[in-house]
Amino acid sequence: MNVEELVRAALREQADEQPPPGAGLADRVLTVRRRRRNRRIASVAGAAAAVITVAVGVPRLTSGGHDVRPSGVVDSHTVSAHPKQSPPTELVAAGRTALAAYYTSKSVFSNAHDGVSTRTYWLLDPKSGRYEKTTRWSWVAVAPGLHTAAVLEQHLPVRRIGLLDLASGKIKRWIPVDHPVGGLAFSPDGTKIVATTYGDNPDRFYQEDKSGNAFREVPCSRTGFYVLDAASGKGSWAAVDTTSDDPDAEPVNTRQDFAFSQSGGSIMTATSTAPWIGFYDVHGRPVEAPASEAHRSWYVLAGLSPDGTKLAGDFAGKKWHTSSWLLDPVTGKPKTEIHGQQLLAWASDKSLIAWDLTKGEKNEFHQRLVLVTIGSDKEVPLSGFRKGNDGAAGRWQPIFADR
Amino acid sequence: MDAEGLESFRHFVAGRSAALLRTAVLLSGGDRHAGEDLLQGALAKAAGRWHRIEEPEAYVRQVLYRQQVSRWRLKWRRSEVSVAEPPETGPPGTDTAAAADLRLLMRQALSRLTARQRTVLVLRYFEDLPEADVARLLGCSVGTVRSTTHRSLARLRTLAPELAALDPAAGERPSPRDYSPVEVRP
Repeated sequence: MNVEELVRAALREQADEQPPPGAGLADRVLTVRRRRRNRRIASVAGAAAAVITVAVGVPRLTSGGHDVRPSGVVDSHTVSAHPKQSPPTELVAAGRTALAAYYTSKSVFSNAHDGVSTRTYWLLDPKSGRYEKTTRWSWVAVAPGLHTAAVLEQHLPVRRIGLLDLASGKIKRWIPVDHPVGGLAFSPDGTKIVATTYGDNPDRFYQEDKSGNAFREVPCSRTGFYVLDAASGKGSWAAVDTTSDDPDAEPVNTRQDFAFSQSGGSIMTATSTAPWIGFYDVHGRPVEAPASEAHRSWYVLAGLSPDGTKLAGDFAGKKWHTSSWLLDPVTGKPKTEIHGQQLLAWASDKSLIAWDLTKGEKNEFHQRLVLVTIGSDKEVPLSGFRKGNDGAAGRWQPIFADR
Repeated sequence: MDAEGLESFRHFVAGRSAALLRTAVLLSGGDRHAGEDLLQGALAKAAGRWHRIEEPEAYVRQVLYRQQVSRWRLKWRRSEVSVAEPPETGPPGTDTAAAADLRLLMRQALSRLTARQRTVLVLRYFEDLPEADVARLLGCSVGTVRSTTHRSLARLRTLAPELAALDPAAGERPSPRDYSPVEVRP
């Protein structure tokens, strides 16, 4: 036997010893694919969870004072559209929902390969109805009502949470925390905050080359979450072990924040195995999914309709025909098909804000915000078209909140 | 991906993933986890353009090979490969245990090659591809394949001097002698 023959024998022996891959490989792959497409969308999932809410009792952090919101923000029945603006400079809103903020991301490298995805936010100024740029915050979650945002400073994870008065632009309260926080989301009623804690910056990544093709996320360092009372800042921390043998507990992304379920009774997060979403109680113990959210897809941000009768579903189109499913929340089966490439937020029980292409468009990333309505072929453009591919620097990502 | 595409993708993965994983693990120097990562990445790439791919297996394999070589070229952090303790082998013998030792030795040496060297050897000696096909798959010349193969085999002999005895050019084969199987600790 010569060396070549031994190489051949050793390789074949090693190959023959390999057990087949575990079941569900195709679905894991599709999850990876999905998560890359939705990486930045996922990062606002927490904020979006506040979209489908019944806006009650949002704590005002100012000590009284007059309501300085412009009438366009207050009137929840109007549509405020700016189809020539991308990103928007003036209020975009439809029905109960407003574009409360948006952000762009860029990669900042500390060496040739290690980078951090950093966000620049534009927050709706309720006085002027315009979006104002800020680089002060690494994370922003806007409470229903558009008065208050919960913010994190740069260099995540951080040890304090700021509650920002959007009218004055000032911090009204700092909430110190023992476990460093990397992400925030409000409860549907705006009275609580879930803060996801991490051991390391959840926006870190490793990139092999500048093309971005050989991108690799670093392992998730998530440690658990706080549930805090927004008014008092009091609350408790729950550990959620990401190294658990339970595959349901495995996070999908480096940043995999927790958010409130739409009923507000439990905490949810994406998982890497079917049913792709997991629910916890406030103590970090896994619980059953709420009946109306068991079939929810974590990457479809719109979630449950305000009246709870319809669940926003996945893409239903084919090739360049774009549409999405609306599902029966209990059975998970499609009830109807609606225009829209990605359903982002419910504007009413019958209409949603979505990303969509124009007819005949052959670039899946050339999207604009539109208002789509059940049973109608009419789409109302709300913004201009986004430029660049998914993940491109400068591509804006919306954050919606009830107004 | 539409419903038909999903079905077809799942069918392909169910039918071909075992074979593809074997190749991916070999390309990764025997590191099962790295091999799974490599395969998963290649399948994800294929899923993104599924309806445009005419020969899925050829496409996925090409991604596997090129991705692995690219990892090497870009100095992708090389994970430690979990291998058994190097066996303290004596000169190669003719008995079964000795042959097994040699194969194990070879595996360890293979795991210490660069990804490009290993990829060329996997394509030539595991996939049994002609040099021209290897060149096409890796996007290089036949001459590069030939020289890489030569250097890779030479490197194996350096990494495991015991293998030099297999090469007629290395001189007389030592007399076979008995030696006990060595303990291999996981």
